[in-house]
Amino acid sequence: MMFQLSYLLLALVLIMVASMVAREKTARYLTVLFAALVFVFVISNDMTMTTFAYGTLSILTLTFQLNFVSSVLLLLISFVGVFVPLRYASSPGFFVLLQFLLFSLVGLFTTRDFIVFYIFWEMVLIPSFFVIGIWGGPSKNYAAMKFFIYTHIGSVFMLLAIFTMYFTEGASSFAMSTLTAGMNVVPVSYQAFIIFGFLFAFLIKLPSAPLHSWLPDAYVEAPSEGTVFISSLLSKMGAFGLLVIFSPIFMASSFAGNSAVPIALMALGIFSLIYSALVALYQKDLKRMMSYTSIGHMSFITIAVGGFLYLNGTNPLDSQLLYYGAVFQLISHGIIISMIFALVDTLEKTAGTRSIPSLGGLARQLPALSFLIIAAFLASVAIPGFSGFVGEILILLGSFAVLKYYLIFVLIGVVLTASYHIFALQKTVFGPYNEFLGNIKAKREELLVEILPLALIFLLGIYPALIFHTFNIHVIQFLGGIH
Amino acid sequence: MDLSIILTFLIFGLPLAGFPFVIGVGFVKKNYSMYLGTSLIFISFLISLYVMFTYTVKGILLQYSFNWLPSLPAIIPLGVYADNLSMIMALMVSFVGFLIILFSVGYMKEDPNRHVFFGEMVLFTSSMLGLILASSLLMLFIFWELVGLCSYLLIGFWYYKPNAASAAKKAFIVTRVGDVFFIAGIGAAILYSSGGALSVAGLGSIHLMWQKTIVSLLLFGGAIGKSAQFPLHVWIPDAMEGPTTVSALIHAATMVTAGVYLIARTYTIFTPVSLSVVLYIGVVTIILSGLIGLVVNDIKRILAYSTIGQIGYMVAALGLGLGATSIGLSIYQLEAHAFFKALLFLAAGSILHAVMNVRDINKMGGLWKKMPITVTSMFVGALALSGFPGLAGFFSKDSIITASYGVSIFVWALLAIGGFLTTLYAFRMFFKVALGKPRSNAAEHAHESSWIMLIPIVILAAFSVIFGIFQQGFYTFLNPASVVVPLGIAPLKLMDFIPVILMLLGMGLAYYVWGRNSTIPKTVANGAQDFYLLVKNKFYLDVFFTNVIAERGILGLSAVSDGFERRAIGGLVNLSGDVFENSGKILRKIQTGLARQYVLIILIGLILSLLLLRILMGV
Repeated sequence: MMFQLSYLLLALVLIMVASMVAREKTARYLTVLFAALVFVFVISNDMTMTTFAYGTLSILTLTFQLNFVSSVLLLLISFVGVFVPLRYASSPGFFVLLQFLLFSLVGLFTTRDFIVFYIFWEMVLIPSFFVIGIWGGPSKNYAAMKFFIYTHIGSVFMLLAIFTMYFTEGASSFAMSTLTAGMNVVPVSYQAFIIFGFLFAFLIKLPSAPLHSWLPDAYVEAPSEGTVFISSLLSKMGAFGLLVIFSPIFMASSFAGNSAVPIALMALGIFSLIYSALVALYQKDLKRMMSYTSIGHMSFITIAVGGFLYLNGTNPLDSQLLYYGAVFQLISHGIIISMIFALVDTLEKTAGTRSIPSLGGLARQLPALSFLIIAAFLASVAIPGFSGFVGEILILLGSFAVLKYYLIFVLIGVVLTASYHIFALQKTVFGPYNEFLGNIKAKREELLVEILPLALIFLLGIYPALIFHTFNIHVIQFLGGIH
Repeated sequence: MDLSIILTFLIFGLPLAGFPFVIGVGFVKKNYSMYLGTSLIFISFLISLYVMFTYTVKGILLQYSFNWLPSLPAIIPLGVYADNLSMIMALMVSFVGFLIILFSVGYMKEDPNRHVFFGEMVLFTSSMLGLILASSLLMLFIFWELVGLCSYLLIGFWYYKPNAASAAKKAFIVTRVGDVFFIAGIGAAILYSSGGALSVAGLGSIHLMWQKTIVSLLLFGGAIGKSAQFPLHVWIPDAMEGPTTVSALIHAATMVTAGVYLIARTYTIFTPVSLSVVLYIGVVTIILSGLIGLVVNDIKRILAYSTIGQIGYMVAALGLGLGATSIGLSIYQLEAHAFFKALLFLAAGSILHAVMNVRDINKMGGLWKKMPITVTSMFVGALALSGFPGLAGFFSKDSIITASYGVSIFVWALLAIGGFLTTLYAFRMFFKVALGKPRSNAAEHAHESSWIMLIPIVILAAFSVIFGIFQQGFYTFLNPASVVVPLGIAPLKLMDFIPVILMLLGMGLAYYVWGRNSTIPKTVANGAQDFYLLVKNKFYLDVFFTNVIAERGILGLSAVSDGFERRAIGGLVNLSGDVFENSGKILRKIQTGLARQYVLIILIGLILSLLLLRILMGV
C-alpha cells in the first residue's frame, strides 16, 4: 500500500494544530514527529517517481508528484525538522512557525500546479518573516522587511509569467505539465518574458549575485535557529525552481537550442561564485562570512543548470553529471550549512563573540568544538569523504564539456572559496590562544547534537549511492515532460 | 570477490578504517595510539609484501572496480588496480611509512596530542596507499585530496605556533591551485573519451593527439602542485614548521611523490609536447632549488630544497620521453630518494631533538662526536643524496643524467650542474652540522637519541647503501621492455664520469669553503651581491605569490568587492526602497480629504482615459 500524500498533509496539519494548542515544550517534540512522518513518507514511497492525482478544485489541479528531486528535498526537510528541535530549545511559537514552513515546503516541492506552487511559495515567506522580525538581532526589522520585499518582487514576476503562460496558451488549468508542454504555441516575445519571470524569481531566491543582497542581512539578523532553516531550506526553493520548473519550461520553449540564456546563467554562476568568495574573504564576522558561503555553494547550481541547458541533451553523460551533481549539492549543502550555522551559534555563546579577530587558538580550549568546526569547514570546501565533495566534483567534471578553458574561472572560485575557509580556520581555531577569552567551555549537549549532521555528511560523502540510487536515469526525458 | 582483491583493498583499507580507532584509544591511554598506529602500518606493509610476492611477481594484474555512483550510465569506478608499478610503490610507501612512524614513537612520546598525531599519520599513509592502488582517476583524486588534507592538518599540528598555522594554510592553498588543474584534467578526460578514460586501465581511450596533450598537461598541473615543482614549490619550505617526522613522511614516502606517480601512472597520454613541458619544468626546478639550497641556513629547509631538486630529477626523467625506460628511471629515483631522504630527515629530527629544536645550522657544529650514530647515518644520507659511487643516489640519479645525454646535451649539462649543486649544499649542511666546534649552548649539550629513533635511521642508512644492487632487477620488474643498462655494468663512456667528477669536486669544494673556518662564503656573497640577494630571496617567488598576488591582488580585490557589496549593491537596494518611501510621502499630499478635489481628480482621470481609448482604439 502506498503512503498517500493526502494522508501526509492531513497528518501534518493535525500536528500543527496540536502544537498550537499544546503547552510549553510539546511543540518542540511534535516537530520531530512531523519530520519523522515526512521521512517515512519518502522512504515508504521508495523514493521513486510517484504521482498523486486528487482531481481538480475549480481551476486548480490537485496533482502532486514525488520525483527524485523532491524526494531528496523532502529528506532535507525531515533532517531540518529533526535537527532544529534537537539543537535549539526555542519558544513554542517558533516551532509552530517552523512546522508551518516545513508544511509549505512539502507542498511546494511536490505540487504539479502553478497556482498551488505560487501559493506555497508565498506561504513560506510568512514564517521566515516573523522569525526574523520577532527573534532577530539588533536590526531585525530592516532585515525582515528587506527579505520580505526583495523576495516578494521576484514572486510577482513569477506570477506574471504564470498568467502569461495561462492566457497566451488559452489553457483551461494551471497544471504544470500542460502549461509547460504548450510553451511552443506562445508567441516568442511572451516566451522571453515567461523565461525572464521565472528566472528572476528563482535567482533571487537562490540567491545568485547580484540579486543576493537580502541574504547576508537576513542570515545575520535572524536568530541562529532561523538562520539554520532559512539557509538550508529557502535557498533550495530557488534551486528546485531552476531544476524542476524552469529547465523543462526552457527546454519546451523555442529558445531550447539557443545558447544565450544558458551562457548568461553560467556567467552569472561564475560571477556569483568568485564574487561571494571575494566578499567573504573580507568579512570579520564569522556568521556573515558563512552567509556568503551559501551564495557560493548555490552558484554551483546556477552553473550546473546553465551547462545542462547549454548541452540541451547533446552530451547525455555530462548532462547527467551536471544535473545529478546539482541535486546532490542541494541536500549536501543543506546539511553542511545547518551544521556550520549551529556551530557558529555555539561558538558565539561560548566565546561571547563571533568576530574573527577576537578569536584565535580555540583548538586548545575547545577541542571538541574546534574539531567540529574544522570538519564542517572542510566539508564546505568539498574535501573527499564529506558530502560536499560529491556534488561539487560532479558539477566541475560535467561543466568541462561546456566551459572548456573558461572552467579556469570556476576553478579560481573554488580556490578562493577554499582560501577564506582556511583563512578563517587559521584565525579562529589555530594560532595562539586569545587569553582574553578566559577559561571557556562549550555546552556538551549542543556539541552532541552536531554528531547528527556530521554523521550524515560522512555517510553521504562515502556512500553517495544512498541518494544516487534514486536518481532517474532519463533526466532529459524527465525534464522535457513530453515523453 | 577474490582473496587477492580483498587483500589489495586491505593494504590501504585497514589503516584507513583503523585511523579513528587510533585516535579513539588515545582517550583511554595515549600510548596505545602509538602502538596501534605503528602496527596498522606494519600490517599494511606485510600485506603488500604478501600480495607482491604471491601475485605481482607472477605477473598477475589485480584489478577490481565497483560503481560508486549508481544510475550514472558511465560508471564512476572505484576500486583497486595493482600492477607492478603500483605494488612496488605500495611496498616502499608502507615500509618507509612504517619506519617513520616507528621513529615518531620516540620523537613524539612527550607530546600531549600524540594520539591525534598518530591517527593523522596513519590516515596520511593510508591515503597515499589508496592513491597508489586507485583504479580510476577520480579515486586517485579522492585520495590525492585526502593526502593534501592530512598534510594540512599535520603541518599545522603545532597549531599554537603562528608560523605553523600560516604554513599549513599556505600548503593547503598552493596545492589546491594544483588540484583544480587535476579536476579539469579529469573533466577533460571524461569529455574526450565519453567517460572511458576515467579508469586507469582505459586511459588509452583518448585517441586524438591534441586531446591527450590537454588532458596530460592539466594532470601535470596537479602534479606540479603536489610534487612541489616550479612555480608551485613555495609551500614546501614553509611546511617545515610541522614536526620533523611529518616532513620525513611528506618528503620521502607520501605527498610529494604522488605527483610523480600520477605522471608515471598516466604516462600513456603524455604526448611529446606535454613531455617537453614536463622536462623543462623539472630542469628549471633542479637548478632553482640547488641554488636556493646553498644559501638557506635552516637544516630542514635545506632538506626541503633538496627534495624539490630530487623530485625535479624524477620529473625530468619522465620528461625525457623514453617510454617505459623513463618510468623505470623515475620510479627508481623515487624509491632511492625515499630511503635517503627519510634517512636525512630522521637524522635531522634526531639532531633537533638533541639541540632543542634550534634549526639554524650556524648554531650547530661538532655534533659528530656527540651523536656518532645519527651523524654517521646523516653522512651516509648526504653521500647517497649527492650520488657518491656505490650508493643508491648514484645509481638512480646518474642513470638519469646519462640517459638524458641521448635526448639533449643542453639538458644533460643542466642536470649535471644540478648534481654538482646538490653535492655542494648537501655537504655544506653536513660539514656545518658535524665538524668544527659547537656554536651554541644547545649543541654543546647534545647527546645521542634513544634506540627506538636510531633503529629506523640505521635501517634506512643500510638501504641507502645497498639499494643500488637492485637496479637492474627493479627496471626489469617494472617493465621488461625497459632498456636502461645500469651504470657500472654498461660500457662506460667518458661522459659518464663527468657527474662523478663533479660530485667529488663539489665535496672537496664544500669542505674547503664550509668545512673549515673560512671567509670565502662572505667574500663570495659580497662579491656577487645582486645574484646573492636574488637567490637569498628565493628568486622573489615567495614575495610574488604572498605579497603581490595574495595580499595586493586577492585581498585588494576582496576589499574592493566588499566596498562594492556595501555601497553599490546594498546602496542601490536601499535607494530603491527610499524612492518608494519618499514617493509615498509626496503622493500622500494628494489625499487632502476635500471632496471637491477628489471630484476634480476623478474628472481629469475620466477625460484622460477617454482620450486614451480614442487614441488607441479609434472609438
